[in-house]
Amino acid sequence: MHIPDGFLTINVIIPTFIITLIFLAISIKKVKLTDQQVPIMGLLTALFFAAMMMNYPIVGGTTAHLLGGATLGLILGPFAGGISMTIILVLQAFLFGDGGLTALGANILNMGVIGIVVPCAVFLVMNKALKIKTTAALFVTVFVAAFLSDVTAAVAAGVELGLSQPVFQYGLSVAVPAMAINHSIMGVAEAFVTVVIIGTLLKLRPDVLAKSPILGKLSMFNKKDEVEA
Amino acid sequence: MVSKNQKTIIIGLGISLIFVLLGVFVFSYAMETLDVKAEELGAEENPIYEPPLPDYTIPGWEDEWGTLLLGVASTLLLFVAGLAAAMVLKKKSKSK
Repeated sequence: MHIPDGFLTINVIIPTFIITLIFLAISIKKVKLTDQQVPIMGLLTALFFAAMMMNYPIVGGTTAHLLGGATLGLILGPFAGGISMTIILVLQAFLFGDGGLTALGANILNMGVIGIVVPCAVFLVMNKALKIKTTAALFVTVFVAAFLSDVTAAVAAGVELGLSQPVFQYGLSVAVPAMAINHSIMGVAEAFVTVVIIGTLLKLRPDVLAKSPILGKLSMFNKKDEVEA
Repeated sequence: MVSKNQKTIIIGLGISLIFVLLGVFVFSYAMETLDVKAEELGAEENPIYEPPLPDYTIPGWEDEWGTLLLGVASTLLLFVAGLAAAMVLKKKSKSK
């Protein structure tokens, strides 16, 4: 999903850089990390860089990779999660040329802002509506949030490409569905991986999830004794 | 004595290195939807910068083993970068 140099026009490059820089400035100002989250942020940054190296076959000979936005957002919160994803995308662009420099604003916006804020928002809304108390309900909610993270990030990339005429002459009507449909398949894989990671942490490190600005809002973490490992 | 955090890091980095291995030797073929659509349209990449390690390869050593070495080194670099950023952000929020 990394957009290279040459695919976006200036009318897309400038606004995406501006939105991304505003989000990052707010993130740096607002972020609050707990002691438990410090090593976890390092670990998840490394984990999802490595996960992005794997390209899975999806449809029609195309491939896609995991994003990690939902895991980063749900565990670290949207601000620390966005910073973590930004570190990955900046290093990928500068060291390996994975994603163009002119498209860096768009790539961070898609994967590090939309791909992270959307699952956090979906989770908070569903938690408020469903008042999640069971592990099964938690997993379903995480699954939906992670799936939508991938799909909305892909839709955003499709919109940016669709608006970048004349480079992408297909326009929005082709670019958006193509990205959304193909990445919805990857979204299912992303959702499974996110559920597995959060399920594993719930069992082994509930203290990390309890301190999360997003998952920490679950009622199951209100009883302190249950989460102190 | 290994602390809970150290144990989590060791397991997590172990899983990351497995991802790198799989990414280099099993799931290495990449043809994203974006690439396919660009190819159909004849749209070409137009890089404005030459990265030192293009496409996850070491210039002059362009086989899987070079990519594996890069993947492992980069994963560790990202861990250090993420950890350093987290420590700085934690310190910053404490000093407010």
